[in-house]
Amino acid sequence: MRIFLLLVFLCAPAMGHQFTPTYPEVFPSHLPGISKVTMELFNNRRDISYYTIGVFDTNWQMVPFATSGKVIKIAYLGRKTIDIYIRNTDLSKAVYICSKSRTLVGQKQVAIVSSKICSKLK
Amino acid sequence: MFKQMLVAGAILAALPIGANALDAPIMGSVQSKCSITTDTPGIYGNPTPSMLSTAATDGGIEPVIRFDVISADYYKAVIATPQDFSSSPTLTDTVVWNGTVAVAEVSDPLMSGYDAAKRVYNNVSEFDLTVAGTTWFSITSDASYGFDKSWPAGNYNAIVSAECIAL
Repeated sequence: MRIFLLLVFLCAPAMGHQFTPTYPEVFPSHLPGISKVTMELFNNRRDISYYTIGVFDTNWQMVPFATSGKVIKIAYLGRKTIDIYIRNTDLSKAVYICSKSRTLVGQKQVAIVSSKICSKLK
Repeated sequence: MFKQMLVAGAILAALPIGANALDAPIMGSVQSKCSITTDTPGIYGNPTPSMLSTAATDGGIEPVIRFDVISADYYKAVIATPQDFSSSPTLTDTVVWNGTVAVAEVSDPLMSGYDAAKRVYNNVSEFDLTVAGTTWFSITSDASYGFDKSWPAGNYNAIVSAECIAL
């Protein structure tokens, strides 16, 4: 029997994801030895509700950081301001701050584009 | 006298004392940014028992991803075609993947050089977004199972990774 499979690869209405600013500035935080970067995440993807934040060096190795939550829940058309805290000792290594879309395991959804936007520290 | 005061009071009360205009501010800022949008859904066709393909000739639909950049020379687009299924029936043989990324449409004729200038390595294509505006990238992906083996029946999902990296 000839197997016929219609396989869905990407199937979603137009949707997008923004992460600004492109070149964020680093400010001292209220904690000694810790600096703060403020980013804004806009979710225009109807199929995505979760994003993760990452801080990376030039070789795309993770740099330690802290936020209110590394996985961020954000509703469709929602905007969220995210404060990212980096130790001053790690600041010289940190180059990129990225947001990446996440899908739920086992979710019955077919829109599978992983979007990732990275800003570069000044 | 009392009557006159009452009338005067009523008139004063009826007069608008101050302007009651309401200002509804609308604020906005234009800054360099990148937006990634899935423009066209993609579908794998199954032209032969061992082949899955997004090519139109194979009954598939090529996905199109749109990148919007507000300012030139601030970002590069990095698009990776699938190398694995994110969900599928159990597969017992090897899968050979092929994929390409090409510029499908542009909002500015100056972007026509993007394809020639792209860098390709492994399953990744990189494009410097040197012109402000919108670029649509179409992605082809196909997968072959074993040596002319039939795909097990079921649903298959694969992930295209679209990244916008500040330069």
